[in-house]
Amino acid sequence: MNRGPFIFLGIFLIVATSWTFVLFETNQWVGNLSAVLDEDLGKYVPGKTVGAAAHGKEVYQELGCIACHTQQVRVASGMDIARGWGERQSVARDYINEERSLIGNIRIGPDLSNVGSRQLDRNWYLLHFYNPQINSQGTNMPPYPFLYEVREVVGEASANALDLPEEFFPGEGLEVIPTRKAESLASYMLSLKVDYDLKEAPKSNETMAEELAVALEIAQ
Amino acid sequence: MTLIGNICSSLFPNLSGDSKNREGVRRIDASIRFPLLTLIISASVWLIIATVVGFIASIKMHSPGFLADYSFLTYGKVAPIFWNSLVYGWLFNAGLACAVFLLSRLGGKNVGLGAFLTISITLWNTGVTAGIIGIMWGEQLPFQWLEFPAFAAPILFLAFLGIGTWNLLTFRARIHRSSYASQWWILASIFSFAWIYTAAQVMLVGTPAKGAIQTLVNSWYVENVFGLVIAPLTFATLYYLLPKTLGTVVVGYKYSSWAFWSWFLFASFSGFVDLANGPIPAWVSSLGIIATFGLLIPTTTMSIQFFSSLFSRFSVIWDSATARYLFAGCITFLLVMYQKIFGSLRGALDTTQFSLYDSGVTQLALFGFAGMTFTGAIYFILPRLLNKELPSTSLIDLQFWSHLIGLILVSIGLISGGTQQGELMNGSTAEALVVVKTMQSSFYLTTIGMVFFIIGAVASGATYIGIILSTRIPEETETSLIKEAPELEYSAS
Repeated sequence: MNRGPFIFLGIFLIVATSWTFVLFETNQWVGNLSAVLDEDLGKYVPGKTVGAAAHGKEVYQELGCIACHTQQVRVASGMDIARGWGERQSVARDYINEERSLIGNIRIGPDLSNVGSRQLDRNWYLLHFYNPQINSQGTNMPPYPFLYEVREVVGEASANALDLPEEFFPGEGLEVIPTRKAESLASYMLSLKVDYDLKEAPKSNETMAEELAVALEIAQ
Repeated sequence: MTLIGNICSSLFPNLSGDSKNREGVRRIDASIRFPLLTLIISASVWLIIATVVGFIASIKMHSPGFLADYSFLTYGKVAPIFWNSLVYGWLFNAGLACAVFLLSRLGGKNVGLGAFLTISITLWNTGVTAGIIGIMWGEQLPFQWLEFPAFAAPILFLAFLGIGTWNLLTFRARIHRSSYASQWWILASIFSFAWIYTAAQVMLVGTPAKGAIQTLVNSWYVENVFGLVIAPLTFATLYYLLPKTLGTVVVGYKYSSWAFWSWFLFASFSGFVDLANGPIPAWVSSLGIIATFGLLIPTTTMSIQFFSSLFSRFSVIWDSATARYLFAGCITFLLVMYQKIFGSLRGALDTTQFSLYDSGVTQLALFGFAGMTFTGAIYFILPRLLNKELPSTSLIDLQFWSHLIGLILVSIGLISGGTQQGELMNGSTAEALVVVKTMQSSFYLTTIGMVFFIIGAVASGATYIGIILSTRIPEETETSLIKEAPELEYSAS
């Protein structure tokens, strides 16, 4: 116990074991996962985030949205399915294309892994980022006015100007135009949906029951 | 002009009246005086920054419109800035200050290289500053406690290598063959940080692991920064300062190596708990839970050691500021471990997962257990280092009580508020807006707590500056000013 090298070796072995046993092992396992062909959709899933949505993902990362939002759905605990945040458990294969994982572990706001299938209105997002109080009154999500440009209306109003309610209007003769960052972030939100099935993650019982009920209703 | 004279007198004291024995200690102190002051002042500045940023972040939780026009102060940026300045700014500087002092004093030999150490420390703080500016700039990485942009990592690594090397050299140069528990803990924490920081950087930034594994690496890293780096530095400080301030050996010292190895073994596996039911193999989080329970062994051992020592000389706690801080540190240690261990149970986890509960326990650990122990240690180190009295005991009292009140308010706010939040989020389908409404009082409590933290941080900063700038009175030129604490470490080993 009196020698530095002994302590060094001991600590090295302990940390190395923990690293090999957990991180290295699982990394090998996930490394072998690949995209699978979904015959219903006719494409490989999970897909990649591309175009404006990919830029939006960078904005999401830059603004630290992960400080309040997760992107994972649990089945074994919590109320994620009942809340309509997803239809099945999130599994490792869902994230294999993510160069930067945005899974997160704090939920001050709702989970976003399927937000694109809950809210389809692009305009809703653009208003929401400008000031969340517009369409989610009472939330503690901060507004992001710096993602917008407030400018004077010259001649005709711009086509992409926000359609703001009276009390949020910045002033007479002004209009609020989303910047590219705001537009991309909205595209990213719209792209967030897990609309494919995986063998290892069957739909949850609740979702199956719901689908069955709908099918029965149609049949009747 | 007098101020400059006072600073010079602080840095290069001209002392008289000394026995042969003290000459060696004075030489050691002289060689580490400048680097230690750099560490302590940096720690203090970072604490003030962290608490102010934490205050801003806590306001944003109940008043989201606050400072919303500034993109660099959006909640998603101030939250990581708060954590990083707290961990790498305050606790690393303060913890390393304790490490440098302890290793030098316990080793009994001065290795010099003060300039090398000071440069490394400055480089470390440059790295932290660069990282925080990077976050504000919008370059943050989405990894908890590793949000610093990639360019900050090599700076921090190099700086830490420098500080670590100095510590190793000091340990090697020691005059006693045997070593004391504090020395093992410090060495181990330095090895560990170099290891886990490299592994995390390689697997997250260098050649990023695939998707879900990144969260695993991140969780491993975060838990180990606390379990293998910050907590060990705190234990080292406790093992050294308890005998010094209480005037008694650590009760049951012979069980220290047992506590040491079992702590490292279990702590290195104790992450992953918060990943339960997520997109990673289930056995990983189960392993984390088992390891967390294993921590009961070292926790019990060390609690018995620390509390038996404290209770055997309980009256000292009222007389000595340092002992009071150590006592508070030990109490929070118990509370933190209790929350960590029993909070990892599936039943508890089902409620608290993803809530602010975790953040509350972590703040209790950082501000309370580590923070109060390091602060107490700095109040012990400064008078010895400068051979001056602390300028004002009421300032220290002010800091102690405001820090303690802040700690109570923030941890109650986050832990009970987080439990409430978890119950609603995980146990019901209540709308997110309803959850936010229920949390309002907890959010306000946190903000008030942060105000107390700021008061405490400023008071301790004032004490540090005060002792450096004060004029040296005649008694302070005598080395007999400081009654040397008894050397009880070796009698026990």
